[in-house]
Amino acid sequence: MRLVRYFGYRLLLALPVLAGIIVLNFFLIHLAPGDAASVLAGESGAATPAYMDILRHKFGLDQSLGTQFLVYVFNMARFDLGYSFRNDSPVAGLILDRMGPTALLMLTAFSVAVVLGTVLGLVAATGRNSWRDAVISLVSLIAYATPAFWLGLMMIVVFAIRLAWLPTSGFDTVGADYEGWDSVLDVGRHLIMPASALALFYLALYARVMRASVLEQTAQDYVTTARAKGQTERRVMTGHVLRNALLPVVTMAGVQAGNLIGGSVVVETVFGWPGIGTLAFDALQSRDLNLLLGIFFVSACLVVVINLVVDLIYVTLDPRIEI
Amino acid sequence: MSPSPISRRAALALPLGLALPSIAGAEPQRGGTMVMIVHPEPSTLAHYAVSAGNIPMIATQVYEGLVTYDWELKPVPNLAKSWDISADGKTITFKLQEGVTFHNGAPFTSADVQYSYMEILKKYHPTAPVLLAELTSIDTPDPYTAVFTLANPAPYIMKAMAARDLPIICKSVFEGTDPLNNPSANKPIGTGPFKFGQWERGQYIRLDRNDKYWKPGLPYLNRIVARFIPDAATRSAAMETGEAHFAGYSAVNYADLARMKQNPMLDITTKGYEMAPALSVLELNSHRPPLDKKAVRQAIAYSIDRSFIRDNVMYGYGLPATGPLSRKFGPSGLYTADTRQYDVADRLEIANKLLDDAGLPRKEGGMRFGLHLEVNSFGEQWLRQAEYLKQALGQVGIDVTLRSEDTATWLRRVYTDYDYDINEPFLGQSIDPTSG
Repeated sequence: MRLVRYFGYRLLLALPVLAGIIVLNFFLIHLAPGDAASVLAGESGAATPAYMDILRHKFGLDQSLGTQFLVYVFNMARFDLGYSFRNDSPVAGLILDRMGPTALLMLTAFSVAVVLGTVLGLVAATGRNSWRDAVISLVSLIAYATPAFWLGLMMIVVFAIRLAWLPTSGFDTVGADYEGWDSVLDVGRHLIMPASALALFYLALYARVMRASVLEQTAQDYVTTARAKGQTERRVMTGHVLRNALLPVVTMAGVQAGNLIGGSVVVETVFGWPGIGTLAFDALQSRDLNLLLGIFFVSACLVVVINLVVDLIYVTLDPRIEI
Repeated sequence: MSPSPISRRAALALPLGLALPSIAGAEPQRGGTMVMIVHPEPSTLAHYAVSAGNIPMIATQVYEGLVTYDWELKPVPNLAKSWDISADGKTITFKLQEGVTFHNGAPFTSADVQYSYMEILKKYHPTAPVLLAELTSIDTPDPYTAVFTLANPAPYIMKAMAARDLPIICKSVFEGTDPLNNPSANKPIGTGPFKFGQWERGQYIRLDRNDKYWKPGLPYLNRIVARFIPDAATRSAAMETGEAHFAGYSAVNYADLARMKQNPMLDITTKGYEMAPALSVLELNSHRPPLDKKAVRQAIAYSIDRSFIRDNVMYGYGLPATGPLSRKFGPSGLYTADTRQYDVADRLEIANKLLDDAGLPRKEGGMRFGLHLEVNSFGEQWLRQAEYLKQALGQVGIDVTLRSEDTATWLRRVYTDYDYDINEPFLGQSIDPTSG
C-alpha cells in the first residue's frame, strides 16, 4: 500500500516536470535559425516565394509563435504528438517504429555492459595488483578511450569484409522474408556488431567503477567484523561487499539508462541501425520540429519512469534506504 | 543476402532498366532482387510536389512521364506514343498509349494527364512556376488524346517530360483530396514497372515487380530494394561485401572509388548521368563591398585552379567549368566555350594586378581584405573544396574564413538573409537550364 502511494506521489511530481519540459523544449527549439520549409526548398533546388508560402502554411509556420505554442499544447493535452510534415506521417507512428530496434540494441548493449562490467570489476578488485587486475584495467582503459565509430568501422572491416561472418549494417536482411527462428537469428546476426561497439564503452566504465567500489568497501569495518566471525572470503564478498559495492554502479547505470533511450547517433549511423538517435538527428537537421518535440517528450517520460525503477532497485539492494 | 542473378556492379548510372543490361554486355537474366543504396533517405515520396535529388531514384520506378529520353537525350515515346508540335510552337498534341493501367487498376487516360499537369504539377511542383509557366490549358478531345496549349512557345517543356521532372499521377487517387496530405505521398501509385511495396523508415523501401506492366516482358527484376545507410564508410563496405549492388549519386565517397576499382565484383561508370549534369559554382554576394567591384570578382575567378579541384577534391571525376552553363547543353546550342579564359598561365599575376588596380593593396601580413566562405553542408567534399579555396584566394591576398553550419542555418543565412560573401552550392541543371 505504501508502495502504491509512493508511486502515485512520484508520478504526480512528474507532471510539473513534464509540463516544464514541454514549454522549455518548444521555445528552445524555436531559437534555432532556419525552418523546415527552407530546408525542403533547398533540397528541391528550386522554389518560388509562392511555393514557400504554401509550404509554410501547410506546416503552420505562418502563424505567430504564440499560436503555434497554443496549438502544440492543445495537441499534447490530447496525447496527440502531431504530424511530421517533412515525413508526411504522424509523429507517434514514426517514433513507435524506431522504439523496437532502439530498445533491442540498447537493452542488449546495456545488459552486457552492466553484467560483464560488474563481473570484471569484481574479478579485478579481488585480485588487486595481480595480472588479472592489470589485464582488465588495461583493456577497460583502452575500451573507454576508443571512439565507438572507429571501433564500429574496424569491426565492419574485419568481420564483414575480411572474414564475411556478419552483415555490414541494417536491422535484418531485406527481401529474405525469414520466418520464426530464422528471422530472430537474422536480426541477431545484425545486432552483434552494433551492440558490441556500444557495450564496450559502458562495460569499461562499469568495470572501473565496480573495481574502485569493491576496493573501498573491503576496507570498511563491517568487512573486518565479517572476517572475525570466521566467514569465508567468498561469503564475505557475496554476502556483504557485493551489495554495497553495487550501489555506485546502479547510480551510474540509472543515469546512463536515460541516455540510452535517446539512442546512440554514432553507432546507429555507422551500422545503419534504425534507431531513435538518427531519427532525432535528422529531425534536428531538417528542422522537423513536431517530430523533434515528440522525441524529446517521449524520452522525458521514459527518463521519469527509469528513475523510478532505479529508486526501487536501491531499496532492494540497501534496506537502509526507505521510500 | 539472398543470391541474385544480376551481376554485382557499383554502377553510378540512373536509368536502371537501360544501364544494367548494356554495361553487363550479356543477355539479361530474369528475376532476382536488386539492392541499391540511396543516400540520404528521402523524407517523402511525394515526387509530384518535392524535387529533392534523392527521390527520383526510387519514384521513377513507380511513376512514368509522357516521354522518356534516349542516350542522345532526344525524347522518345513512353506514356505518350506520339506527339505533334504545331508550327507556331504553341500547341502540342499527344497521342497516348492505350491499355495502360495504374497500380490500383484504374485505366490511364488523357484525364490523368490533364489532372497531373494542371491540378498537381502546375500548382505544387517546385520547378513548375518556371517550367510550366507558359502552359495555359490541356484539352482532352478523347481518352487517348491530350492537347497542350501554351501561351508562348516553350521548347524546354519537351525536355522535362520524363518521370524525373514531370510524373503522371492517377486522377482518381487525388481528386477531392488535399494533394499535399494525400496518402499516396508515401505510397506512390503510378504506371511504372515497379509497384510500391513497403517503407521501413531508417532501413529500406521495397518495390515489387508490376506484373501487369504495359511494356511486354518488362521489367526483368522481381524486386528493387533501396537501402538507407547513414555512414559513408559503411555504404562502401556494403558495396564491397555484395550486400548492395548499385549506388548512385554521392552514395559512395570519391575517396573510396580508387579502392573499389580494384574489386573485380564492382564496376564504375558515369553513364546514366546524361540527364543530370551538375555544376559546382561559387556565388559571390555582389551587394557587399569589395565584391561589388567586377575586378574583384574576376580576380577571385583567376585565383582558382579548377583542374586542381577536379583532380584532388573530385578525384578526377569532372571537367573544369568555363561558365555558368554545363557543357551538356552543347547540343541544344546553349553552351559556348567562347568565354573569358581564367585558367591561364599568368592567372595569379592578372589577379594581383586586378586587385591592386581596384585600390585594394596588400596590408601588413600580405592580406588585402577578408571574406567569409559558407561551406556547403551536403557532404565532406565541400569542406575539402572550401579548404582549397582558402589557400587559393590566400595566394592573391584574400583572407578567407570558412563557416560551417548545419543545412537549415546555412540555407537561411544565404538564401533568406543574404548574409554571406562567398557561397559554394552544387547546381543540378537537368537537360535544359530551365528545368534545373
